[in-house]
Amino acid sequence: MTSSLASMLSALLAQAPTPEELQEQINLDSLVLLEVFYFFTVVIMWLIHVGFMAYETGAARRKNIMSTAMKNILTIAVVTPSFYYFGWYIYGCFEHGGPAEGHAGPAEFPGFCGLTAPWSAGMAGNLESSLTGHLSLVFFLAFLLFSWTTASIMSGALIERVRLSAYLILAVVLGSGVWIMDAAWGWSSGGWLTTNYGFHDSIASLVVHGVAGAFALGVLLNLGPRIGKYDREGRARTFRPHNTHLTLMGLMLIFTGFYGFYAACLFIQSTVFPGWLNIYLSPTTLGTIAMVITFGFAGGFTGGWIASRGDPFWTLSGGLAGVISVSAGADVYHPSLAYLLSATGGMVAVWSGGYIEKKLRVDDAVGAVAVHGVCGFYGVFLVGIFAGGFPTGLNNVPSSFGGQLMGMLAFFPLAFLPGYIVSWLLKKANLLRVPPEVELEGLDMAEFQQDFFPEFERVPEVVVLPDGQEVEAAPILIEEYTRTNGHRAGAPAERR
Amino acid sequence: MIDSFPYESWDEVATTFWTFGPEDSTGTYVLTVLGIILMVAALIYWVWLEEKKLTAQAALLRGAGGLPPASPTAPGPGFAEPPLAGPSTDPGP
Repeated sequence: MTSSLASMLSALLAQAPTPEELQEQINLDSLVLLEVFYFFTVVIMWLIHVGFMAYETGAARRKNIMSTAMKNILTIAVVTPSFYYFGWYIYGCFEHGGPAEGHAGPAEFPGFCGLTAPWSAGMAGNLESSLTGHLSLVFFLAFLLFSWTTASIMSGALIERVRLSAYLILAVVLGSGVWIMDAAWGWSSGGWLTTNYGFHDSIASLVVHGVAGAFALGVLLNLGPRIGKYDREGRARTFRPHNTHLTLMGLMLIFTGFYGFYAACLFIQSTVFPGWLNIYLSPTTLGTIAMVITFGFAGGFTGGWIASRGDPFWTLSGGLAGVISVSAGADVYHPSLAYLLSATGGMVAVWSGGYIEKKLRVDDAVGAVAVHGVCGFYGVFLVGIFAGGFPTGLNNVPSSFGGQLMGMLAFFPLAFLPGYIVSWLLKKANLLRVPPEVELEGLDMAEFQQDFFPEFERVPEVVVLPDGQEVEAAPILIEEYTRTNGHRAGAPAERR
Repeated sequence: MIDSFPYESWDEVATTFWTFGPEDSTGTYVLTVLGIILMVAALIYWVWLEEKKLTAQAALLRGAGGLPPASPTAPGPGFAEPPLAGPSTDPGP
C-alpha cells in the first residue's frame, strides 16, 4: 500500500509542471489577456465614430446629411493607411523631436522605432510573443482609433461647406502627422516633454482633444462661415439641425465609446501589482479612471445644463467637455474632484462656445473648438493645479503648472499652424470650399445627385435670427449670397 | 486545452511566412510602396472627382437661373422668391 502511494505520488510529481513551465504559462496568459483587452477597446472605440457620424449628420441640415456622413466614413479610408505608413513611425521614433539615434529610436526603448516601420516584423502578422511582436499590432490599432478620433473632432466643425476631398487631406495631416507627433513628445513615457518637464496628460485631454480643436480653429479661419450664418451687423444666426434626436444619440454613442478610449490609454502589467500603468508607465487602475470618466460625465452634464440654461445640445456637449476637462488627471483625481472640475468644464465649453460663435465670429457648426479645443487645454491646466507633484514618465519628474504650461505652449502652434497653413494652401487652390451655389442648394445633390429623404415631403428651410425669431431661410441665404457676389472664403471670384 | 499541435515542426515557417517575403525584404518594401501609391492616388482622385462634380453642379445651378448673377449690383425684386427651399437639378429654360 505504501509503495503504491509512493509510486502514484512520484508519478504525479513527474507530471507536475516545473516552476519555469508555470512561469511560461503565466506569461503567455498575461500576453493573451493584454491582446484581448486592447482588441476590445478598439471594438468599443468604433462607437465613437458611429457617434460622430450620427452627431454631425443630425446637426446638419437635410440637404447636407450624406456629405456630412461620408466625411466620417472616409476618415477611416484615408487615416488608416497614412497612419500605418507614416504615423506610427512618428510615434515610435520622434520622442525626442526626431529619431535621435537613427533607426534604433529612443534609448528607453531600443528597437521600438525600427519596429514601427511598415515593413518591419512588428507591423504584420507574426508569432513573436512579446510586446514588440504581435502585440504591437493591437497597440497600433488602439492608436489608430485615436487618430480617427482627432480627425472626427475636426470634421464636425467644418460641415455644410467644406469639400469632402479637402477634409480628407486635412484629416491625413491631423490624424497621421500632427497629433501623433505631439503624442510622441508628451504622451509617451520617453517623450521630451514628459522626461524633461513632467508633462502629464494621462487620458489625452490635450494631445487628442485640445490639439484637434486647435487644428480645427486654424482651418475654420480660412474656411469661413456658412452662407447666412452672420447678418450684416455680424450677429450670429442659427441653422436648425435636421434631426436633434440623432445628434443626441450620436453624443451618447460617443460617450459609450469613450470608455473604450479611456481603457485603451492604460497598459496592463498583469504580473506586477497593481496590474495597470498609465501611458507614462506610472501605476494606476482601471477602476480609478472608470470612476473619473463617469463622474466627469455627471459633472459635465450638470455644468452644461446650468450654463446653457437647459439647452439639450449644450447639456450633452457639456458632458463631453466635462470628461475632456478631467481626462488629463484621470489617473490621479478623486471622484469628487472629477465631479467638481468637470462641472466647471461643462460651463467653460458653453461660455467659450458662445464667445467663439458670437464674438470671434468663427462658425464652428458643432462647437468642437470649444468642447474639445478649449476644454482640452483647460484639462492639462487643471492638472498643474490639482495634481502638481505627481511623478510622471521614466524620470519620475513631478508634474507642475510650469510643465503643463510648457506642453500647452508646445502643442498650440504644433496644431494650429499646420491646420491654418494647409487649409490656406487649399483655399488658394480653390479646393477648400464648395462653390456658393452648391452650398445654397445643399452638398448632397452635387456630391451624390440625390435626396436622401425621398419619401418625406420637403419643407422650407428655416433659420433662427439673433433675436430668436424663426423665419424661412431662402430669402436670407439669397441675400447673403448676393451681398457677397457669391464670393466666400475659399471660392475666388475668377472660378465662377 | 489544445497543446498537441506540432508547433515546433512548423513554427519557423509560419513565423517567417509573409507573402512576397519576410520583414525588411524587397517584397515588403515593394508592398509598402504600392500601398503608399494607392493611398496618394486615391486622395488625388477624390480631389479631381469632387472638383468635376462641384463645377458641373454650380454651372447647372447658375444656368438654371435659380441664383442671381455674381455681380456687384444690389439684389433686385426678382430675387424675392428664391427657389432654394431644397435641392433641384431642373436645368430650367
